[in-house]
Amino acid sequence: MHPGIYETVLRWIPEESRVLDLGTGDGAFLERLVQTRQVIAEGVEKNSALVARCVERGLVVHHSDIADGLDQYGDRTFDFVLLLGTFQELLSPAETIREAFRVGREVIIAYSNFAHARVRWQILFGGHTPLTRSLPQPWHRTSNLHFLSILDFQQFSRDLGVRETARAFFNARGAVRWLANLRAEEAVSRLQAGTLSQRSITTEPGKTKNETYQI
Amino acid sequence: MTASPSNIIRGDLQDQKVADYQSPLGVTRTETVTLPGLQTQSGFTFEHVDVDYQTLGTLSPARDNAVLICHALSGSAHVAGLDPQAGRPGWWDYHVGPGKAVDTDKFFVICANVLGGCSGTTGPASPRPETGKPYGMDFPPVTIRDMVTVQIKLLDHLGIRQLFAVVGGSMGGMQALALAVDYPERVRVCVPVATCVSHTAMQIAFNEIGRRAILSDPNWNGGNYSTDRRPTHGLAVARMVGHVTYLSAFAMTHKFGRERQTERDTNGDETASFSVESYLHHQGRSFVRRFDPNSYLYLTRAIDRFDLFENGLAAEVLRRVRARFLVISFASDWLYPAAQSRELVRLLKRANIPVTYLNLETEYGHDSFLIENPAFASVMRHYLENEYRHARN
Repeated sequence: MHPGIYETVLRWIPEESRVLDLGTGDGAFLERLVQTRQVIAEGVEKNSALVARCVERGLVVHHSDIADGLDQYGDRTFDFVLLLGTFQELLSPAETIREAFRVGREVIIAYSNFAHARVRWQILFGGHTPLTRSLPQPWHRTSNLHFLSILDFQQFSRDLGVRETARAFFNARGAVRWLANLRAEEAVSRLQAGTLSQRSITTEPGKTKNETYQI
Repeated sequence: MTASPSNIIRGDLQDQKVADYQSPLGVTRTETVTLPGLQTQSGFTFEHVDVDYQTLGTLSPARDNAVLICHALSGSAHVAGLDPQAGRPGWWDYHVGPGKAVDTDKFFVICANVLGGCSGTTGPASPRPETGKPYGMDFPPVTIRDMVTVQIKLLDHLGIRQLFAVVGGSMGGMQALALAVDYPERVRVCVPVATCVSHTAMQIAFNEIGRRAILSDPNWNGGNYSTDRRPTHGLAVARMVGHVTYLSAFAMTHKFGRERQTERDTNGDETASFSVESYLHHQGRSFVRRFDPNSYLYLTRAIDRFDLFENGLAAEVLRRVRARFLVISFASDWLYPAAQSRELVRLLKRANIPVTYLNLETEYGHDSFLIENPAFASVMRHYLENEYRHARN
């Protein structure tokens, strides 16, 4: 993932927050969060070798598949729930986000933008499924189950009734401030449960707040 | 994250021919101490109990590096190093020693034979003070919590107010859990491995088959047997059934397959034709030499009756717990399935206790914690090291 995403998340998380990192991998970022922000942290990871790496780093880690739910955590146990780079691999993203909002107050999600110019170019003129820096695996090996754009994500959060309170976009050259849906390779979004019930999905389209990002 | 196939060939360290086995600890001894009495959960009062125990490593000046290891059903105080007489390594020598999972260069390791056992601690085979004859079935029912009471008495005797960690697999894991719940101020870290908060019907059922085999042996005689007429056949069958439940189909296929091995009795009649049969016979024979049949009855009953939450709702009982936890299960363990560990973890987490959980893919069933297992050892060693550093700061 783009290093800018990690920097952004570090900025968003106040010191001594309680943080749950879903799909924490080898725990490198979570360890950094603990060291720089003194957070009370816990990771969830499905690969036992990576869980072992987290243990070596002294992290509290739980070996399970996010798809099996977060039943082990009580309501509002965490200030932040992180889904950095694992979002597209979730079988039922809406379910997981609802669970994340049950156990946490805020949810931070990072994902790859499937509407990036290079992706569009490869499909349109190359005629094959795209291979890019943020989508590096061929179609038969990728762990991504879903492919989404920044616009799709914004629609999805509105449908879930969650509010995006901050966002940042990146490509190889750094932060992307305009035409993000075309120019950004990766995005990170900070979400809060909206006024709507966390458990109801609204299908109402609603008015798009951020017209500038559309293309 | 799996143990190498050679491990199952070597198997666990109990009941193995281990002539060429080297232990970095060399020869280690156990000692027996007589402790002031206790009352069991059932209300029986022992004036004194003998406790056989072993210590390894050095207690730090701050007395903050003690690790209590609780053994499983067939274990003993002899946790690591070579036995002075038989030369047999301790039951957890793979994982206890210098630089090992429980590092004796860092930690002061204590391991005691449980109450009701038969390796030096007071049990059904011990002489009754009034008569000088073995208790037999007059021995009071033993519980996991009674075992923990004795462990705490031993810690008092050794002058250890607070353990750094309590570690145990299977029945040992039950003791570790009970200690962390019942004596919250006496332990900082709890490592229950391949265990559960209470037995299911299936787990009780396998134990009952073992008990029934002993009770049906004519030599059992209501628990009053002499040393030359013990219910060895019953105990051997109990061990054979138990041993199968500790393995996995994968482990048995790799170790034996359908390999033939003929055994004949003195009349020349065939008593075994597959190597798995002669292996089980060997397990049975070697177990009866070192284990008391009545002890087997008492300890399996203690395991079956164990309920971590017998004194209240989990949420309330766990509220007073102060230890941090590492819970480990094995995906191939069908006797203590991972689901039981996950349920334990869920209850602990919902009580806001910091828990790290790992379900290792070791393919050797319940025995996975007793065999040489680098993935298991590495996680345990790093966890204990990090937590010890954390606890000191």
